[in-house]
Amino acid sequence: MTSVEPEKQPAIQMPSSVKSPITYTPQDIKIIKKVLNGYVGFANLPKQWHRKSVRRGFTFNIMAIGESGLGKATLINTLFNREIVNHRDDEETVEEDTEDKEGGVAVKIRSTKAEIEEDGVKLKVSVITAPGFGESINNTDYWKPIVDEINSRFDSYLEAECKINRSTIVDDRIHAFLYFIEPTGHSLRALDIAMMKLVHEKVNLIPIIAKSDTLTDDEIVEFKQRILADIAHQGIKIFTPEAPGDDDEETVSNTQSIIDTFPFAVVGSTKEVQTPDGRTVRGRQYPWGVIEVDNEAHNDFVKLRQLLIRNFLEELKEHTANVLYENYRTEKLKKMGIEQDSTVFREFDPLAKQQEERALHEAKLAKMEAEMKSVFQQKVSEKEKKLQRSEADLFARHKEMKDKLTKQIKILEEKKVQLEKQRSLPQEPMVQPAQQKTRKGFLR
Amino acid sequence: MPEPVGITSLPDQRYKIVSKEGATFTIMVAGESGLGKTTFINTLFQTSLKPHQDPTERHNKFQSAQETVEIGIVRAILEEKNFKIRLNIIDTPGFGNNVNNNDSWTPIIDFIDDQHESYMKQERQPLRTNKKDLRVHACLYFIRPTGHSLKPLDIEIMQRLSTRVNLIPVIAKADTLSPAELDTFKTRIREIIEAQDINIYTPPLELDDPASAEHAKQLIESMPFAIIGAEEEIEISPGKFSRGRKYPWGVVEVENDEHCDFKKLRSLLLRTNMLDLVLSTNEIHFENFRSTKLGADEEENEDELKEELTNEKGEVVKKPSITKKPRRLHNPKFKEEEDQLKKFFTEQVKAEEQRFRQWETNIINERNRLNQDLEEMQLKLKNLEEQIKKLQLAKR
Ligand SMILES: Nc1nc2c(ncn2[C@@H]2O[C@H](COP(=O)(O)OP(=O)(O)O)[C@@H](O)[C@H]2O)c(=O)[nH]1
Ligand SMILES: Nc1nc2c(ncn2[C@@H]2O[C@H](COP(=O)(O)OP(=O)(O)O)[C@@H](O)[C@H]2O)c(=O)[nH]1
Repeated sequence: MTSVEPEKQPAIQMPSSVKSPITYTPQDIKIIKKVLNGYVGFANLPKQWHRKSVRRGFTFNIMAIGESGLGKATLINTLFNREIVNHRDDEETVEEDTEDKEGGVAVKIRSTKAEIEEDGVKLKVSVITAPGFGESINNTDYWKPIVDEINSRFDSYLEAECKINRSTIVDDRIHAFLYFIEPTGHSLRALDIAMMKLVHEKVNLIPIIAKSDTLTDDEIVEFKQRILADIAHQGIKIFTPEAPGDDDEETVSNTQSIIDTFPFAVVGSTKEVQTPDGRTVRGRQYPWGVIEVDNEAHNDFVKLRQLLIRNFLEELKEHTANVLYENYRTEKLKKMGIEQDSTVFREFDPLAKQQEERALHEAKLAKMEAEMKSVFQQKVSEKEKKLQRSEADLFARHKEMKDKLTKQIKILEEKKVQLEKQRSLPQEPMVQPAQQKTRKGFLR
Repeated sequence: MPEPVGITSLPDQRYKIVSKEGATFTIMVAGESGLGKTTFINTLFQTSLKPHQDPTERHNKFQSAQETVEIGIVRAILEEKNFKIRLNIIDTPGFGNNVNNNDSWTPIIDFIDDQHESYMKQERQPLRTNKKDLRVHACLYFIRPTGHSLKPLDIEIMQRLSTRVNLIPVIAKADTLSPAELDTFKTRIREIIEAQDINIYTPPLELDDPASAEHAKQLIESMPFAIIGAEEEIEISPGKFSRGRKYPWGVVEVENDEHCDFKKLRSLLLRTNMLDLVLSTNEIHFENFRSTKLGADEEENEDELKEELTNEKGEVVKKPSITKKPRRLHNPKFKEEEDQLKKFFTEQVKAEEQRFRQWETNIINERNRLNQDLEEMQLKLKNLEEQIKKLQLAKR
């Protein structure tokens, strides 16, 4: 018996639009450039920033490193015109716990803060010092607390920047690093070089010659030259303000003169003294004369203040945030195994976006199709099996019945033949040909 | 008196840095087409930045390829008094044109969110000095000057916009409303905005600075700004030119406070509040987006918290996780294609069902035929039995 399964219809074609090919060509980005003559008003933005910055106030974190007694506290206090940093003498005298195992003096990190206001402009200064630095000969890790401090300030900024809520983020990063060089008149010592090299890529390094009143002018000139030569030779980076050509001439020449004065030979003093010609000045009085802090002919304090505060404080902060911190962060994240994904820096392109969405959509369609197809095929094959089974059942049952009947018929026919034989002997045969013929036709 | 420290120079230092750097500013214009968005942008910057949509080209052959490009960007670098801005104008053409407006806002909302997300992703990269920033600083929503009220669609879109961006609603083509009509219209809009909790951008009132506070107050009182756009200069009196629209009954001047609020809006956008728009976008809208997103990611990654990395001091520094969100696809064509695919399968299923029904019928027919066959055999059997019975009887 053959199956009564109907023939399948020719397969329906997938709608063609579903399978449209992806063609993507990135668009050139057009930028209109124009100089406006009329008054539009966005040129007011720097003024808006000016106002805003006054409202928000300023902060500045400065680290002053150098051996004890080089005049760090005095210089900081002179710069900011107030007692921000205590002198060593007023501090707790060396506590037991500051001595390390080798008997040297441990370097501690100390931070003091002050708020300054002048004509409505507010500045929060934070001064970070490292008492004990350079005091111990045995201590080979003299630099460690300092470097750790710089790093941990970067780390806490990085951490704060990654937090979900960063409205309270504070910038504790070191914006300027004053390194005090002893006025030996020779050259840099190994310790100076080592210290500067450890930090010059993390901070705006500003080396200064401390207590420069102990050197004559000629000695200062030579000492500066030797220091600059050492710094260049060692590849140490020191903070150098930019003097772009589009600034006005005065600014450019002023910035250049600041750079030409490197490394600043400074004198600090918060004390007011009388000059022989009767002026009251900040300075140091000696039997042989008065050295004036704010006199450019006497020392480079004025230039240092310009660099640190009056001309470049904001630049120091910008450089810290945009270059030094960024470099630190990049290194750190790479070390943590975070890989750069450059694809996220693409220019937004509506067409490209559209293509991307089309690709995603196509993938979705393909998945949908596959899923539906598999469900469909499963259902179809289940149903086919079921029908085939009932078909087979039917045939089997029929065959069984038919066989049974055929057998019985055969038995009866034999019996009949026998009976007829018996009867034909003594009797006339009873023939019914017509009837037999029809039966035969009936049975095919 | 000792010398001052000199910190009064700090704001000047900031001024100089900003002047040198320039700024990036992104404005979005939203609203039905034909409300004068293009005209306004060109009027604001006194330059033909944006080409007008050519009404005759709506049905040209490029249409089919372009129909789903919903967001348009015009990029420009403009310089005024040596100060440069990188300006991005985001346009949303097609909005309001579709018969089906149910979700015509999705591309706009998605664009804003996408820019925040993109900035977020860029910000997390180890090297990120070259960030592309298209975060929208101000979104101008153009209201049709019906003189009646806001449409439900306006309200819905504005609600969605106001939680994401500095939303500035404006009454377009205000020259079609008389002063009295405009007054009532403004009041009604303000009431709706308040009643529907739509959080529109308002300039901060710095009470410690009376002049600035007064200016801000005036701006706030004029909202929503009624604006008129005109790219042409018209001679209003001999030798005096002004941007305006010339009617037989008079000239509407764009920069005349009696005629419209254009100058106030310009002040808000550029002269006095541009920085506030930029900063509030960074500090409020972007931060909100970011913290919501990170909050959601965190929940998702609850089990993956071990991924946190610690620095050498044992402090936890979170590894920036790259989020894989399913993209929302809003192209109406996509839906159509999905429907087509479904329909295709439905048809196949129907065809197969038809085949199975036929098959079942065939089986029934076959059974009937076979049963008949059996019945015939049974009949034959019965006949035989009867014949045998007869034979046996006859024998006796
Ligand atoms: N000769 C000279 N002595 C100074 C100068 N600055 C500070 N001193 C003196 O050096 C000593 C140590 O100063 P201090 O500021 O406490 O040094 P620090 O330990 O580096 O903070 C004090 O007696 C100061 O008066 C300077 O420029 N020249
Ligand atoms: N009455 C009036 N018509 C305007 C105004 N601004 C633009 N139009 C006109 O409205 C039409 C559409 O302007 P367009 O800027 O292309 O609208 P968009 O589709 O929103 O960009 C143009 O014919 C403009 O000249 C306006 O303030 N008042």
